[in-house]
Amino acid sequence: MAENKYERKARRKQTKAKHILFQDTGISCSDEPTKYVMVANAGLVTGLQQEQLLELCLPYGGVDGIVMLPGKSYCFIIFKDILYASKAYAAIHGKIKLTPNDSGPLYLAYAEKVPELSHSWNYDQKPPGLILLEEFVTEDEEKSLLNCIDWKTSASHLGQTLKHRRVKHYGYEFQYDTNNVDKECPLSENIPSECNFLWDRLKDKNISVLSSFPTQLTVNHYQPGQGIPSHVDTHSAFKDPILSLSLGSSIVMEFRHQDGRVSPVILPQRSLLIMSEEARYAWSHGITPRKMDVIPTKNGDLTVQQRGDRTSFTFRFIRKGECNCVYHDLCDSYKKKYKKSEADTNCDAVAAKLESLHVHEVYEEIASHFSETRHKPWPNVLSFVQSLPFGSVLVDVGCGNCKYFGNKMGHFEIGCDHSVSLAKVCHDRGFEVFNCNCLSLPLKSGIADGCLSIAVIHHLATKERRLQAVEEMVRILQPGGKALIYVWAKDQQRHNTQSSYLKQDRKNRKKDCDGELKCVPQHADGSKSRNTILNKVSSQFPSLPVHTNRTQFQHQDLLVPWKRKPGQKIELDNKTEGALCLENSSQELPTFYRYYHVFEEGELELLCSCVKDSKVVQSYYDQGNWCIVLERV
Amino acid sequence: MKLLTHNMLTSKCLKGVNVGYPLGIVAKDIKVLETEFNSEFVLRIIPKLDWDTLWNAADSIGHSGDLPRTLCDDYENDVEFLKKAHHVLLEVEVINGELVCPESGRKFAINKGIPNMLLNEDEL
Repeated sequence: MAENKYERKARRKQTKAKHILFQDTGISCSDEPTKYVMVANAGLVTGLQQEQLLELCLPYGGVDGIVMLPGKSYCFIIFKDILYASKAYAAIHGKIKLTPNDSGPLYLAYAEKVPELSHSWNYDQKPPGLILLEEFVTEDEEKSLLNCIDWKTSASHLGQTLKHRRVKHYGYEFQYDTNNVDKECPLSENIPSECNFLWDRLKDKNISVLSSFPTQLTVNHYQPGQGIPSHVDTHSAFKDPILSLSLGSSIVMEFRHQDGRVSPVILPQRSLLIMSEEARYAWSHGITPRKMDVIPTKNGDLTVQQRGDRTSFTFRFIRKGECNCVYHDLCDSYKKKYKKSEADTNCDAVAAKLESLHVHEVYEEIASHFSETRHKPWPNVLSFVQSLPFGSVLVDVGCGNCKYFGNKMGHFEIGCDHSVSLAKVCHDRGFEVFNCNCLSLPLKSGIADGCLSIAVIHHLATKERRLQAVEEMVRILQPGGKALIYVWAKDQQRHNTQSSYLKQDRKNRKKDCDGELKCVPQHADGSKSRNTILNKVSSQFPSLPVHTNRTQFQHQDLLVPWKRKPGQKIELDNKTEGALCLENSSQELPTFYRYYHVFEEGELELLCSCVKDSKVVQSYYDQGNWCIVLERV
Repeated sequence: MKLLTHNMLTSKCLKGVNVGYPLGIVAKDIKVLETEFNSEFVLRIIPKLDWDTLWNAADSIGHSGDLPRTLCDDYENDVEFLKKAHHVLLEVEVINGELVCPESGRKFAINKGIPNMLLNEDEL
């Protein structure tokens, strides 16, 4: 009998599929019936759900399994018997559509075997730590529990209909945007008392997973076809374990491990699921939205189970503090801690390096020249010092050459500085001094009545370090003691007046007559810019801009050159001697680059407001500096 | 380094050190330099001191003289005592030597009168 056009088409499709299968897997097809039936035009890629296929095949006989390959548009049915396979083949191949909307019928072929999946679904192996207690509640209790949920009172946001299900919270609200609860903000509705018998029952069954009673309940209502995306309950939000009572209908919940293992777990109606340890922390769980589930029968073959209306009661224990489980892959607490500390350490190390290279080393080099140019005390700093009572202990943190000491005010003055060379200058002038880093002062707490930090913390490269330096000063103050902090302001002119820093440039003095300082804009190539040139001086920190002296600042973090003036009598510091020739012209005198973080208006106040046990008693702008008087309370 | 400064220094900033006080002194060079005595100033300073630490420090470098081990009740009116205190606090200076952390044994050099309390990165 000649083939009709449908049969010819079916044969053509079949031949093509056989070819592809052989190419993909090396598996040949058979002209004789086998129990392995390949479906040529339905698979994971076409959106096939195995329960659809199973429902279609079951009328022809028992099915042992369905094999769907990732990324393929074909799949396999494993029948219990060749007879069932041939029945199904005869009925379906080229004749039956999977769904009425499909454009054509399914095409089948007999295969010699089926490909092996690396991770197949395994109903037998549950994730470790998973406990399933079947028939945990009676039918009467099930009804009573279902009735105690008043969905009507939850018309507000507390009883939301999410995209895929209806949900209501007790005790604390679970927030789906953050996947967490607001632990400070419990709900007025506690877990219904109707649930209380569950905990005694757990005790009766000798299940001792509970150390206390649950503090949070989420009730989910799923209609057939609804589900919940795969997730792990946020570690930092909830403790171990998590309990889930299935009411109204059975369902299959899928547990997934990061290594690819998938474990479908049938949650029978009226069962209690306990997720603890690995199952709670290292496996995510979800419910695929569909109207029926594929489940194994007692014989070991597969069947489909229609879903009904299911209501789940998920009981959780709010966690106080952070999670310290060993399952780091899915632990938000671990990630937060680890990531933060790694970033902090890294950032801190870079900052320390920058300060070492572009602050500490530079001050060692320029110490004597620096000291020569720093002899005139700033009046407002002096008046702060003079305001301290007789017999005060005054600590100057970052004392430079101690220009605020020796006022014969009856103070005990101690200076400290990172620079060994500057400390020598101070000691030679007869002052008490030691070397230290301002981030950790080697002084007892509460020993100082006054503390100076003049042009120091703007050399620290992170906000955390600047804060730490201020905290240290407050620590060494006794209650009522005061600290004066000066930092360089980014804004070098206020109320149409230039700072003395700008005025030291003669060109600027002329401009002052015009009322406003004209800043030369920065050029992209840096070639003509007067204010900022590209940093060619720091190979370690190439992105830091270099400031042009006596101009407005263009950046908050930058390098400021220190130049010796030509013709000046220079006492060479040891290290630079080799690099410098005295006959050289001014351009070839060495220039040193100091790192600065110049402060925006309000920034110093904000920083100081973060310091415990202190209050800002005065805040002002003084000649291009932001200044604060901080009192220890 | 004067002994008044020593009275305030600690090595608590060292990693793993809890109190770091008082620091031991190993003095190689000591200089005594007369400074102007002001009884009012010494009176204001004494309440800020840890007297035991001062006495032990002075004693350890052989300069306690006949400074009393403990403060007597009416020291305010004892000018001779205040002069002794003034001497120990402000006139005795350790020029070269070491400060020693009481917990870790870490030594801090004193060079030309300046204690170097700078720490290495791994000590923070």
